Amino acid sequence: MKSVKQATVLLLLFISTTVAQSDRATYLKEFRQRVEYVKHVYDTSQARGYYQAAVRYALKKNVRQADSMFVEALRVPRGDMFWMFPVIGTYLNGKEVMSPETKSAVRNAWKTYAPYRGDTENHWAMYYASLFLAAEQWPNLPGSEWYNGKSSDENRLEAKEYLFDWARITTTIGQGEFDSPDYFAEYAISTILLTQYAQDPQVRQLGKMLTEYIFADFAVEHLDGQYLGGFSRIYQPAVYKPLLSTASAFAWLYFGTGEATSSGWIVLPALSHYELPEILYQIATDRSKPYVHKERKRVRNVIRYGKEKNPPVYKYTYVTKDYGIGSLHGGILQPIQQHTWSVRYTYGRPYTAIFGLHPYWSGMELGMFFPEEVKTLIADVVASKGTYNNPDKWTSASPFERTFQHKNTLIALYDIVPGTTTEHINGFFPRNLQERIVDESGWIVCKAGDTYVGWYPLQEYEWKEEFENPANRLNDVGRPVLEREKEAGNWRLRSHKLQNGYVIEVRSKDEIGSFEKFRTELKRRIPRSILTPGHVAVEYTTLGGDNMWFRFPEDRKLNGAVVDLSKTKLFDGPFLQAEVGSQRLTITYKNKQRLLDFTTLTISE
Amino acid sequence: MLLAVVPHVAYAQRSTVYASVVSTKPFVVGAPNPQTGLFYQRPENDTTWQHTGRNNIRAFGLDVLPSAKGQILCIASGNGVHQSYDGGKTWKISTGWRITEVLSVTIDSRKHEVLYCTTPYGVFKSTDGGTSWHEKNKGFVALFSPVLLIDPRDSNTLFCATEDGVYRSTDAGESWQRTGLSVGGVRTLAQHPTDSKILFAGTEDHGIYATWNGGKYWEKMEAGIDHSTFYAITFDPTNPQTMYAAGYVTGVYKSTDGGKSWRRMNDGLTNLNVHSIAVDPTNGQRIYAATMFGGVFRSDNGGASWRYAGLHGSQVWTIKVLPF
Repeated sequence: MKSVKQATVLLLLFISTTVAQSDRATYLKEFRQRVEYVKHVYDTSQARGYYQAAVRYALKKNVRQADSMFVEALRVPRGDMFWMFPVIGTYLNGKEVMSPETKSAVRNAWKTYAPYRGDTENHWAMYYASLFLAAEQWPNLPGSEWYNGKSSDENRLEAKEYLFDWARITTTIGQGEFDSPDYFAEYAISTILLTQYAQDPQVRQLGKMLTEYIFADFAVEHLDGQYLGGFSRIYQPAVYKPLLSTASAFAWLYFGTGEATSSGWIVLPALSHYELPEILYQIATDRSKPYVHKERKRVRNVIRYGKEKNPPVYKYTYVTKDYGIGSLHGGILQPIQQHTWSVRYTYGRPYTAIFGLHPYWSGMELGMFFPEEVKTLIADVVASKGTYNNPDKWTSASPFERTFQHKNTLIALYDIVPGTTTEHINGFFPRNLQERIVDESGWIVCKAGDTYVGWYPLQEYEWKEEFENPANRLNDVGRPVLEREKEAGNWRLRSHKLQNGYVIEVRSKDEIGSFEKFRTELKRRIPRSILTPGHVAVEYTTLGGDNMWFRFPEDRKLNGAVVDLSKTKLFDGPFLQAEVGSQRLTITYKNKQRLLDFTTLTISE
Repeated sequence: MLLAVVPHVAYAQRSTVYASVVSTKPFVVGAPNPQTGLFYQRPENDTTWQHTGRNNIRAFGLDVLPSAKGQILCIASGNGVHQSYDGGKTWKISTGWRITEVLSVTIDSRKHEVLYCTTPYGVFKSTDGGTSWHEKNKGFVALFSPVLLIDPRDSNTLFCATEDGVYRSTDAGESWQRTGLSVGGVRTLAQHPTDSKILFAGTEDHGIYATWNGGKYWEKMEAGIDHSTFYAITFDPTNPQTMYAAGYVTGVYKSTDGGKSWRRMNDGLTNLNVHSIAVDPTNGQRIYAATMFGGVFRSDNGGASWRYAGLHGSQVWTIKVLPF
């Protein structure tokens, strides 16, 4: 009997191993097909640039043509750290086959072109990862051979020190430029290049661990190619068309989700040997059970108007196979491009999001983070991010906004000071919703495939149909130039009341049954609110029967108990666990576990 | 690059003008920003400037050691402190990754191996000519520091503009104490050329303050002043009763009674956002106004009229005139 049991166990082990190996083999086969697709697009492209050259070098095809492209691109260097990583990436893909003249041109570029280091975390990641690799490639050169007058050794050591310090702070109190669908690429490229090419084994290992760290951070908040919000930074089109974000290109390449793309951001990763550990794409794609995932990040460096350099950011996300709803706790956490909360779902590409915000801008907000003169900062920012001072913008941080989320219910409250920019709040409802019903109870009830979203405005509001402005063009009075399309427009909910808020309920068909039942259940739940200046509060009992009480800005109670956000871990969910200050991330999927221990620079399973 | 070596001459009554350019248009990281960095000219060169050091750097502040006659140059930039000890032939960024977005750099004219730089993260000091830098923020409540002054008669006495008022150190930066001025957003400081106890502070939104007693108490200067944000205040070194001040949409204000009363002098000044002002120490009638995105303007009659003096479209953060 005992031997039968042993045989059964062995057989089950064999089967599970075989299935796992088969899954891994299938994944890798499909991953390599995606890699080949990217290479093919750039190999056959008529365009001339770094990535076209890099692919030709990697394939060892048309190498002289690649030389010509590379030298041509180097002739007018521009882009600061956005120049550094394509240049070093292309060089590392081609240095074995490129001509001596091309090598010389690359070397000379690092001597004569002075890239700005930038002012955000992604800039520095790119800058120092690239500089480290370049300093390793050209060792023992004096300062006169480098744009900054520092020797190869000085540059290499400075870059290494920064990269390790970035890892330390990230794994201690969280990323500052966290969960950014549009800046994920900058981190991923930097760390993958280090993983592939760093000669220093410590830096190579650090690159590998950081790559896994940022992919793990994405994987748990990933659904069908989309990053699940809130976000520190996102660009406007991607905020309502989520697959436009660069993170979605990485989701396609590494998770096999979303839509096929030939985005330039994934060329260098596709050329690398880097393969994602199985556990990460399994976490990214297994949505068989709904879950809550909580995180702690940090505010970007506050240089003015604040007592703390990096106050904490609390993020809460609820994920199902049909939708995810996620939120930051609110306030100004990042300037310009913050996205505080959203529901994103699998139905109806490309418009797969519903969200709300207070569109705010001020010199004070910018002065918190940028060192230039406060009085001229708005004009500076608007020159490159034209929607910043637009009352219709769809990304914003606001000091007058706070959220409280419990599972798939979210409350947002606003206590807006009169005279501020702006005196209204906005809600985004995509044009392709199957239903957008204003129920007599006050609930706005929406259907997007198997996802149902209820929105209860606490104040009066208006609807506005509006069309996209893809190029962000402005007319002579600074208003968007709209390109009306044949289809219906998206819908903007706007409420002009300064003391304001709404309650969001999201359920899937699996969770509640029919859309009608969802609507019927919502009718029975009307939030109670107090909305006077300085006293904005709401009490609401969720569809799940939990009582939420929330008073602006930071008083939150769940079923009568105070919710203390300060106890939030760095990562806290079924897949990821990390304590604040630990520098250790435990990744769990079913019976597998992977520990990234930055204190010992080791990965263990 | 037009020329890599800053000229120097042996005879008196000549001067060299230095200007640091942050950008030539509203800036976004990654966009070309080539015509930036350190520029210099002789006054007789009119609107023509020469460039030294790297392009594509966000040059906020600058300092030049007068006694070295243009051989020792420093630039405060986004990437750190750039230094040259050979008149601009070669340059090196002396700071590491911990020091960034440097807003000003100041060389101790008595001990040129001592340097200070100010940043959004406070004050840093080097005592070995930039080989190493050390944080010097003990006593500050708010770290953002746009500018620092060294008392020319006492290298141990420093004044620093901060977001929490004006601070003073009497131990060469080892510790700081707030003076009597606690208004937020101090943007600039000026010290009387011969009386160290007289200082002026320009602020964001709070106007101009003066102290006659080394900072014990400060008095708001209001006579003739219609604006609230001042980025630049300077004394005429040839006649300290004459002063100039400027800032956000102010144009240039002039005082001829030691700062007690002011009047605007903007004839010909077509850009009123002025970030820095300098008086030629060899000719007190020659004044330079560095504007934000309007280049440099110059007056040869003590501010009575102005004319364009080059660096078209530039955001010139700092301008200095040295007597060599």
